[in-house]
Amino acid sequence: MRWPTGPGAWPLTAKVPLLVAGLMATVGSAISYSVLTRLATDQEAQLRQLAAAHLGSLAVALEPHLARQDIWETFDVLDHARRVATFASARLLVVTLPDGSVVAASDPMEFPVGAPLPEDLRTRLHASGNLVVDADHDLAWSHRPIGTESAPLGHIFAELDMGPFMAVRREVLATLIAVNAGVTLLLAAIGYAVVRRLLRPLCVLNDYVERVRTGAVEPIPARFIAEEGGEFGRLFRRFNAMAQAVAEREALAARLADEEKLSLLGRLASGMAHEVNNPLGGMLTVVDTLKRHGSDDAVRQRSAALLERGLRGIGNVVRAALVAYKEPQGATAMAPEDLDDLRFLISHEAQRRRIDLVWQNRLEDSMAVDGAAVRQMALNLLLNACRASPPGATVTMTAEALDDGLRLTIQDEGPGIPAAMTVLLRSKAAAPLPRGGRGLGLWTVARLLDRVGGEVKASIGPQGGTTVTLSIPFVEGRRTYAAA
Amino acid sequence: MPDRLKPGHDAHRGGWTRRSVLGALCATGLAGSRAIAATATTAPLRFGLTPVFLDSDTDLLAALERYLSVQLARPVVLVKRRSYQEITTLLLTGQLDAAWICGFPYVQFRSQLALVAVPVYRGQPLYQSYVIVHEGDPAAALGDLRGQVHAFSDPDSNSGFLVTRYLLATMKETPASFFRRSFFTYGHRNVVRAVASGLAQSGSVDGYVWDVMTEIEPDLVVRTRVLHRSKLLGFPPVACQAARLGTPLVRDLREALVGMPEDATGREMLRLLRLDGFAVSEPSLFDGIAAMYDHVRTQS
Repeated sequence: MRWPTGPGAWPLTAKVPLLVAGLMATVGSAISYSVLTRLATDQEAQLRQLAAAHLGSLAVALEPHLARQDIWETFDVLDHARRVATFASARLLVVTLPDGSVVAASDPMEFPVGAPLPEDLRTRLHASGNLVVDADHDLAWSHRPIGTESAPLGHIFAELDMGPFMAVRREVLATLIAVNAGVTLLLAAIGYAVVRRLLRPLCVLNDYVERVRTGAVEPIPARFIAEEGGEFGRLFRRFNAMAQAVAEREALAARLADEEKLSLLGRLASGMAHEVNNPLGGMLTVVDTLKRHGSDDAVRQRSAALLERGLRGIGNVVRAALVAYKEPQGATAMAPEDLDDLRFLISHEAQRRRIDLVWQNRLEDSMAVDGAAVRQMALNLLLNACRASPPGATVTMTAEALDDGLRLTIQDEGPGIPAAMTVLLRSKAAAPLPRGGRGLGLWTVARLLDRVGGEVKASIGPQGGTTVTLSIPFVEGRRTYAAA
Repeated sequence: MPDRLKPGHDAHRGGWTRRSVLGALCATGLAGSRAIAATATTAPLRFGLTPVFLDSDTDLLAALERYLSVQLARPVVLVKRRSYQEITTLLLTGQLDAAWICGFPYVQFRSQLALVAVPVYRGQPLYQSYVIVHEGDPAAALGDLRGQVHAFSDPDSNSGFLVTRYLLATMKETPASFFRRSFFTYGHRNVVRAVASGLAQSGSVDGYVWDVMTEIEPDLVVRTRVLHRSKLLGFPPVACQAARLGTPLVRDLREALVGMPEDATGREMLRLLRLDGFAVSEPSLFDGIAAMYDHVRTQS
């Protein structure tokens, strides 16, 4: 599935869960920040208290030893304090004299007896406040004087391990992230499921509306309507009412098209009668001549030829009418001569209007197109062209075979097709029925053209005159939606 | 059963009571009951201890108390003090019946003290003093320790002070002149801890204690190395006031100590102490220590 680029065009089933996830992530981050900040503050306060208590008790224990500068006892106290190290207790303890020299340290290798305290630690000894935290190295330093202000004995200095505190912070952070992520995913999933459920009726509706667009008007089945109460139930019922109306309109249109065909026949009937009547008079004269001079071989031969020509002319007119009005729809092949038959059907109309019909049928073989539809479209356009052209004008019909179908061009020398009629011609099946019977022929063309999946172009030349070009694809090469 | 536990043997201490008979009957297996029973009738033995052995081992102390109270048929009070001097003073002033002291105080107060028994270590009543350094210390001789921090055990300890002081005296030095700094830890085990941790670069320690510690605290001892071993000297003895040497209590104590290998609890005691037993010894055993003491005294 390819997603539209703009978030505004994303489906609701994506937008709502993303929105929920975004909100949850924001709220979760804010809560996590607040919790961790509070935790850090509490931990530092706790560490400050622990350090004060720890160093306080050590100072009391060390005071008599420091007063005697008893190296061993001082070390022994520090060593035991370090051995029983508990949560946040000192990992390094150093006791110094007031001059800064080391009496003993829990790590004598690093801080030898009598050596001066390293400068970096000495500065921490004088730092304001009694707790300095180095969060980068998970360490904190605290110190406390031993003795009284008036008679100081020395200092105890402690390096405290913040590791357990930091581990708790990391653990809390990990828990917050895990819980927030879990809740976010859960809510996003719930959001997705809820929105999907809410939108399901719309999907059903969309499906059936799409079917209408492709020409298959079907009502929404009752089981969908039964599942949905409220607004969607009503919407479905309204859609079904609309679908029924569309179906009725379709049926009406089909009937109208049939009627249009019959009306065309009616219009052609007089022409046909004329076409039949003309040879009939000559043929009756020939019969009369045969009666009288039938014994003359030359006369008989000439009369038979005349009769044959007359009957062949009548036969052509009758066959053309039969082909146009009896051939079933949906035939998938059309021979070049099927198109030529149309000349017989409109020749009377052309002669009546003194139109010069130029017939350029360049088809050579049978083509895989719906012959009945093509002939009816061509006939309608040719009759329109004859009607639109002034007496003495020329109407040209050109049929050409293309790589992917058939192209029919009908050109007249009339004043030009009105814009409304062009719209009607291009409107395919979606066009409303023309009112007052005007344009029914072009509407029929548009409908048939949509059925065969063809395209139409209509243009008016600079000197007037309309050129209508139909492009009709082969049955196999039809566009898919049209084939549905 | 030893003679002193027979009814007739106990009679002279103040007569029989029902409790003492009961206690005597339980003596071999129920030491605790016996000790409790005896408490009511008999004065306790006050026995002083110094860090000449691993006096920090509470199991060992409990076994010693149990053994002596059963053998002597009386309660035993084990008395410990921080320094040798305090125990020596208590002993000299009669506040203790006997004490396991060091050879050095014995030599210092030879006229007032008498030997009850001397431990036998590796077949003889002798031991050595060690000068130890940190395992990584490159020192090869005592002279290399000049200017260092040194840990002594106790100012009245032979192995933990006198021997090193004597060695320095032979070099015309004193601890103050030779070492940058020195301090007392009041325990041989503490000397090992001080050197192992790096608090002191070297230390004077009882060789017997160091050897025993290699078995029971190898992780600590492995961080130290023996730089110098002294000649063999008299093992720290159990001593009493000279005037009390002939008393039945001291006699019984000597018998109990000497008879330790014959008793199951005694053998367990000796196993914990890594000693072969106790022996009655002549004061001349400590002449070597006396000679060092004399040398140091004349030097200072």
